[in-house]
Amino acid sequence: MTALIGGVLLAAGVALFILEPVFSGRSAALYGGDDDFDEGAARRRVALTALRDLEYDRATGKLDEEDYDVLKLELSREALMHLGPDQDFGEGMETEAVRAARQLEDEIAQIRRAIREGMQCASCDHVNSIGARYCGHCGKRLATGAGAAGTSSGGGAS
Amino acid sequence: MTVLGEVALWIALPVALWGTVVSFVGGRFRRSDLVLSGERTAYMLTLLLLVVSAGIIAAFLGNHYEYRYVANYSNRELDTYFKVAGLWAGQRGSLVFWTLLLSVFSSIAVFQNRRRNREFMPYVSGTLLGLLSFLLVVLLFADVNPFERMGFTPVNGRGLNPQLQNYWMTIHPPTLYLGFTAFAVPFAFAVSALLTNRLDSRWIAITRRWILLSWFFLTNGIIFGMRWAYEELGWGGYWFWDPVENASLLPWLTATAFLHSIQIQENRGMLKVWNMGLVVTTFLLTIFATFLTRSGLIESVHSFAENLRIAYIFLGFMGGMAALSAVLIVYRLPSLRSENQFQSFLSRESAFLFNNFLLVGVTFAVAWGTLFPLITEGFFGETRNVGPPYFNSVNIPIGLMLLALMGIGPVIAWRRASRRNLRKNFTVPVLAAAGALGALAVIGVRHSMALATFTIAVFVMTIVITEFWKGMRARARIAGEGMWSALGSLVRRNRRRWGGYIVHAGVVIVFTGLAGAAFDVRMEQELAPGEAMSVRSALGTEYRLVYESLSHSRPRVAEGERENDWRWTALLTVYRDGERVGILRPERRFYPIMEQQSTEVGIASTAFEDLYVIPKEVDLESGSERVTFEAKALPLVPWIWYGGLMVTVGALIGLWPAARVAAPAAARRRSRPGPLPAAAAG
Repeated sequence: MTALIGGVLLAAGVALFILEPVFSGRSAALYGGDDDFDEGAARRRVALTALRDLEYDRATGKLDEEDYDVLKLELSREALMHLGPDQDFGEGMETEAVRAARQLEDEIAQIRRAIREGMQCASCDHVNSIGARYCGHCGKRLATGAGAAGTSSGGGAS
Repeated sequence: MTVLGEVALWIALPVALWGTVVSFVGGRFRRSDLVLSGERTAYMLTLLLLVVSAGIIAAFLGNHYEYRYVANYSNRELDTYFKVAGLWAGQRGSLVFWTLLLSVFSSIAVFQNRRRNREFMPYVSGTLLGLLSFLLVVLLFADVNPFERMGFTPVNGRGLNPQLQNYWMTIHPPTLYLGFTAFAVPFAFAVSALLTNRLDSRWIAITRRWILLSWFFLTNGIIFGMRWAYEELGWGGYWFWDPVENASLLPWLTATAFLHSIQIQENRGMLKVWNMGLVVTTFLLTIFATFLTRSGLIESVHSFAENLRIAYIFLGFMGGMAALSAVLIVYRLPSLRSENQFQSFLSRESAFLFNNFLLVGVTFAVAWGTLFPLITEGFFGETRNVGPPYFNSVNIPIGLMLLALMGIGPVIAWRRASRRNLRKNFTVPVLAAAGALGALAVIGVRHSMALATFTIAVFVMTIVITEFWKGMRARARIAGEGMWSALGSLVRRNRRRWGGYIVHAGVVIVFTGLAGAAFDVRMEQELAPGEAMSVRSALGTEYRLVYESLSHSRPRVAEGERENDWRWTALLTVYRDGERVGILRPERRFYPIMEQQSTEVGIASTAFEDLYVIPKEVDLESGSERVTFEAKALPLVPWIWYGGLMVTVGALIGLWPAARVAAPAAARRRSRPGPLPAAAAG
């Protein structure tokens, strides 16, 4: 008997909880979310990862300069192409594509420069503005200055 | 409690069906209230299935033998420990347990994504709830209801199969089931991606951790199973190519292939159809493994045949899911076209692709061998088995090729490898491997497959170690860190890459351990107390076993209970190279209730080999206490477990969430272009 009452209560509780949104109009989001990234962002991420891998491969001596230059050129071109009109951007959206491409180019250039000059934070990857001494993101001291720049042979190694 | 469990099972079905319908309808017609209702269903199902499981465990603990399931898998004398594990001891309970785990993972997936990836979610929860509905229908209407009563109450139950009365029983099956069920989440995301036509790399980015989690559990489940077999089945082996072992290996193989091929999709936008196919196949294989485990469809050491009907229901379900997925994939083919082409045979893409072909090849070979008895029975009317020789002759060579690829893949360049790249990266490993081959030949190793394994193992290990060394050096130079902190930050910044390398190193060690089987030495001898036997291992260790005595024990039991088991324990002193190293207590056990015997082996381990002692026969009639012992010196077996541990560690590193960025910093980051997304470290 107690089991039966328990069962009825259980059923009622469950039904109430799952039907409540229908009656109260409470609803779940159908689009987007906190940290969603769109296709363009995903592409950029892949391109940047590939470029980083490339830097790593060079830093560890897996690639020599010649291959590195060829591949880097190819990768950068491809990364830009991915943001071209044949992607998610419809007709008339080209301006956005161009803007995104330029932004990517800037990002890549900045990262390259930062890596060269030791501006990228060693612990959080944040790219700091030239001349910074502490990471603007995590606050760690940056390996900047002549020492780092002198020994750096490129490569955000990871 | 048990009745409440039964009621909860009946409540669960309409709840799951409701959730399935409203999720799909809500997704299709943009009814957000229905979507929320569907998501809440997942939580409620978890609650209900917990009640169901508690009901079953309560029936076991309370010795309610009016329930057929409890009567078949327990008795009064069984340890409490195994009564709780009764939840997954047989087919019926296993299905409940599977359903419970699936509902837990569904709830986690829904909760995790309550505020993100919302476009996917209606169909993700719909798919997961649909699966749960199917399982609940099976549980209630396919003669596998765990709450089925027999109409009378036996005084005692039949008891648990002695081979299952081992602590691995509480570890191995749940781990495997966790692996099987976790893979339903990536499958659900794949289905959702197909239905919503969001076929870019997002669903892969979302599910990668789930796939790795499932892989992690599967890997551990398989290794635990090997360990269980090694300790419990008592003949010194760990892998039998038994149908159920094979069934757990199949999804592992395709999941492994998938973990590699998604990297090509992420990096190069290729192989999208292939990846979809792999997700679907892996998921179907987890279902296949689940029902094969307990259905008795194919004879195996695991099957305690109960009900063949359910096998056909599951086969039908798998067929239906396969057909539906195929239709969806074909329908979406235009969105799945490749963005790039292979540029060169000598490239990392090719290595990945080749790795995939090999893994899928092994999958087919294993599946063929496993299903061979069924196939021959269907076509020729007689059951024929293929034994380990078939599996070994096909799989060892492919396995060795895969092993070699583990070394080649990580260092060969993307797109195309130049001759310089090859020379630069492979000279040292090839020389090291050649040196190892020469050294092994000189010391007299002649077994060809073992030689090949050791040589390739050295090749891969050299590469992995060099990779770490180069990475550390570069990192130390760039960041101005010491070597060890460089190692830490190296791994932290790209867990996936370095975790993967550690997994590779672990697999190399496992393979080396497996190859040790080529050098097993066995010796069988009947001994009277006081007599001794010797066995000399392939590594040159001289073992001497002195049989001291035999003791017979019958556990004390409460009034009115029978003994679960009788034990004859032999006491052996072990001398290694003349030095006394310890005592072994191998046992013969007799389970009077089940009328079965079992063996508890004695194992003396060193870092390099195991001494494995099996009491084969105890002479009870003459009262002479003579025992026939089989002693085996098994070189490198411990490496299988060490390697397995390393694989686990590597997988954990890959799984570990990347350090979260503090919220204000994250907000700053979003408002300003420039910084590298933290996730790019992946």
